[in-house]
Amino acid sequence: MIAAESLNELKTNLREDQISKNEDSSPFGNSGDMVVFPETEEEIAAVLKHADSNGLTINIIGGGTKRGFGGLIEKTDILLSLEKYTGIVEHTPGDMTLTVKAGTRFKDLQDYLAQHNQKISLDPYWQENATIGGIIAVNESGPKRLGYGSARDAVIGLRTVYPDGKVIRSGGRVVKNVAGYDMNKLFIGAMGTLGVISEITLKLRPIPKCESLVLVSFPKGNLEGIKAFAVKVLDSMIEPVSLELLNPALSVKLAGINAYTIAMSFEDVESSVRYQEEFVSNMLPDDAKLLISPKEKADLFWHRFYRHIPNGLDGELPIQTEASIKIGTVNLEAVNVLNETELLQDQFNVEIESHGGLGHGLSQVTIRGAESDVANAAAQVRQIAEKAGGYAIVKHLPLKLRKKVEVWGNKPSYFFLLQGIKTKVDPNKTLNPNRFIGGI
Amino acid sequence: MRTKDRIKSQDKHILNLAEIVGGTRSILYQKEDLVAYDCDGFTIHKHLPKAVVFPKNTQEVAEIVKYCSENNLPFLARGAGTGLSGGAIPLNGEIIISMVRMKKLISVDLENRRAVVEPGFVNLKLTNSISDKGYYYAPDPSSQYCCTIGGNVAENAGGAHCLKYGVTTNHILGLEVVMPNGEIVEIGKDGIPDAPGYDLLGLITGSEGTLGIVTKITVRVLKNPEGKQTVLAYFDRVEDGSQAVSDIISAGIVPAALEMMDKTAIEGVEAAAFPVGHPKDIEAVLLIEVDGIAAGIEEQIDQILEVCRKRNVREVRAAGSEEERARWWANRKTGFGAMGAISPDYLVQDGVIPRSKLPDVLSRINQISSESGLRIANIFHAGDGNLHPLVLFDARIPGESEKALEAGSQCLKVCADVGGTITGEHGVGIEKREEMRFVFTEEEIAAQTDIREVFNPHNLLNAGKLFPSPGRCAEVKKEMKAQAIS
Repeated sequence: MIAAESLNELKTNLREDQISKNEDSSPFGNSGDMVVFPETEEEIAAVLKHADSNGLTINIIGGGTKRGFGGLIEKTDILLSLEKYTGIVEHTPGDMTLTVKAGTRFKDLQDYLAQHNQKISLDPYWQENATIGGIIAVNESGPKRLGYGSARDAVIGLRTVYPDGKVIRSGGRVVKNVAGYDMNKLFIGAMGTLGVISEITLKLRPIPKCESLVLVSFPKGNLEGIKAFAVKVLDSMIEPVSLELLNPALSVKLAGINAYTIAMSFEDVESSVRYQEEFVSNMLPDDAKLLISPKEKADLFWHRFYRHIPNGLDGELPIQTEASIKIGTVNLEAVNVLNETELLQDQFNVEIESHGGLGHGLSQVTIRGAESDVANAAAQVRQIAEKAGGYAIVKHLPLKLRKKVEVWGNKPSYFFLLQGIKTKVDPNKTLNPNRFIGGI
Repeated sequence: MRTKDRIKSQDKHILNLAEIVGGTRSILYQKEDLVAYDCDGFTIHKHLPKAVVFPKNTQEVAEIVKYCSENNLPFLARGAGTGLSGGAIPLNGEIIISMVRMKKLISVDLENRRAVVEPGFVNLKLTNSISDKGYYYAPDPSSQYCCTIGGNVAENAGGAHCLKYGVTTNHILGLEVVMPNGEIVEIGKDGIPDAPGYDLLGLITGSEGTLGIVTKITVRVLKNPEGKQTVLAYFDRVEDGSQAVSDIISAGIVPAALEMMDKTAIEGVEAAAFPVGHPKDIEAVLLIEVDGIAAGIEEQIDQILEVCRKRNVREVRAAGSEEERARWWANRKTGFGAMGAISPDYLVQDGVIPRSKLPDVLSRINQISSESGLRIANIFHAGDGNLHPLVLFDARIPGESEKALEAGSQCLKVCADVGGTITGEHGVGIEKREEMRFVFTEEEIAAQTDIREVFNPHNLLNAGKLFPSPGRCAEVKKEMKAQAIS
């Protein structure tokens, strides 16, 4: 179908101002020849149905922060923007559940919920820009996952628009539910390759009465000492919400401390928080330094933290090429992953900021430098991850480099199942083509 | 094979399966042996399996599955058989693959907070194996002393403490699965989170044994909380009790457990093996447990006591000793079985509702009780809105089983109508296949069976479970009722 005809057909379902020709191009790709801005679920369904039955392809975009995450083409036929599909559908404070439209920005939600002393217990990056739909679609989590879990723990219900336009509800509005398959899990982290998540129901948590940030830094960079300290914390009765190791470069940026630093967040009633701060200061190794910050300073630290990785929203590339890589290993391997990636700085003449969850095993490495150096270093990070028994996923890289550096790594042995699911749900490969593992 | 162990069967499938598992000691095929396997914890529907095989390892499971698949024999996996919705009932005369001999604790890695078990490993044994080091496994279904972790994965089992700690799916890090064609796949290698690709771990957990057979499980283990305190509160009005539940949550407290029993349930537990002396004339009892850093617990307990007093509690107190706390929990955890003390038969339901609808739903359940003439006891995980209405009946009285099934179904309808669901932790199985239509459209059910087709294309693995059969629903229901009455 040629663009003009397609445009006319779309105009039967959307107003003229909801459709525009897209002259812009993003260095991160994942764009579309035409941008559409649906405002209702019916409109989303109409766009999908139109594309699916006419052999057109669709890229989905929310806030645009993850534009550099996966995908090998610059433009599909249509870019479906959820920017105007926003708002809270239902919030029942007594049930501590929230139903929200996918295009709603994360920070707007948290600000609203804070009036009710509640929050979504996720801590993704770029909260001012990122939409809840995008966060769920990539299954993004932050350091506080240790205490609160990830999107798969927080999401209790979804409405997902399938490529053929039908709307499939999964889960519900209750916090415990085993009726049928747990289809929520299928769509969380599916990178929009199965359907467009339109509505999300989340379980909420109370905002803790007291919060503090405890930074334990290791000026000598003694890795065994860091590991031993982490083991001691994990084996103790204290309950840090985060146990995140920062490399010296990141630690300088966030807290002005030029050393490996463990960031522990304590969130509970005040007596418990004070007790845990005291506990940590009593177990401090000889060569470590302690810095305890109250909530205001902690907030500033976290604010910087969630903005330290590159953002796909930028229209132009910075002078230095940026890459961001997510690594999964068993918890304590995160120490080795961070240590080995440090060495890449000299080897490839790049700058590296990294952090790793010593309680959950997810690390993130951000590389900045000349284009080819970044590409080479990124490939090396995967080798480090695999050597540690884990995996690496490139979360952010300009399109040009994504064609050179494999985003997802090797296909798992059970790839036939992933492929089978994709083929069942999106047989025409209409949605986010090639955005996911193995060309799905 | 030794002579005295020779298989008496002439059936070539029995002989071939016996060969795979290494002889007669690992297969049952005679009717008198098979009757023990004609149902699970859901006893209303029964069917004999063709045989029961007892593999010792993943390889044997894979060979059995491959054999069944190649010979078009229906099959299913079974753990301890404690499931309450009929998920392990051989509706189609299946070959039952019993996982009870695969019961090893393979490894424990406390530094990385994980353990690897075989599917036949009993839930409580895991906690018992690591408690001396100060760790435990969080999901605690009431049957935890005998149910298997493999079965827990199949059903995505819950428990009293999932309000704070989540259900089984929140604690599964990795699975080894034998696919319905016999292929062995490993998902979530070494328990590393967020493996690239669709979240098959999450999909398989709770799939009621219809997508594959789990042969190895990596679970998360947790450090014991430093402190723990339990409060008992008696209310003269159910409304006050349920309002107290909401108030506790609204106060920003996340209790580890928040349980409620109504008057009929109290009558049952007091007449059974673990009475604790609950007054006979109260309408609701709440059991509230808070755990975490010891220094912070007192503050939370004080707040809970205050909330209860504001809601006209008759009596409220914190447990004076660990022994008292344990007695309160034994009384609660044996609640279902306790109904046997006041009724010859009972049917457990498992609806979930938004917490705020509790008073409304309870009064509608009361109405169902008076209309059916059957007593309904309510035991529930009030904190997460998971109700267990127990319909009391006498199967010897003609028509009463049918009435009980109908009343149970009506309770689920009420839950679905207020925005809840038909099962929170027991699963759909056979029991609630039809009730799936209370919460899902035909299209949504088809979206789920589409996924099943990817894993289990010939539907030989545990067929007839979880989903209503299209078009035949009325007929099946009638058949089920006929069976219930017989």
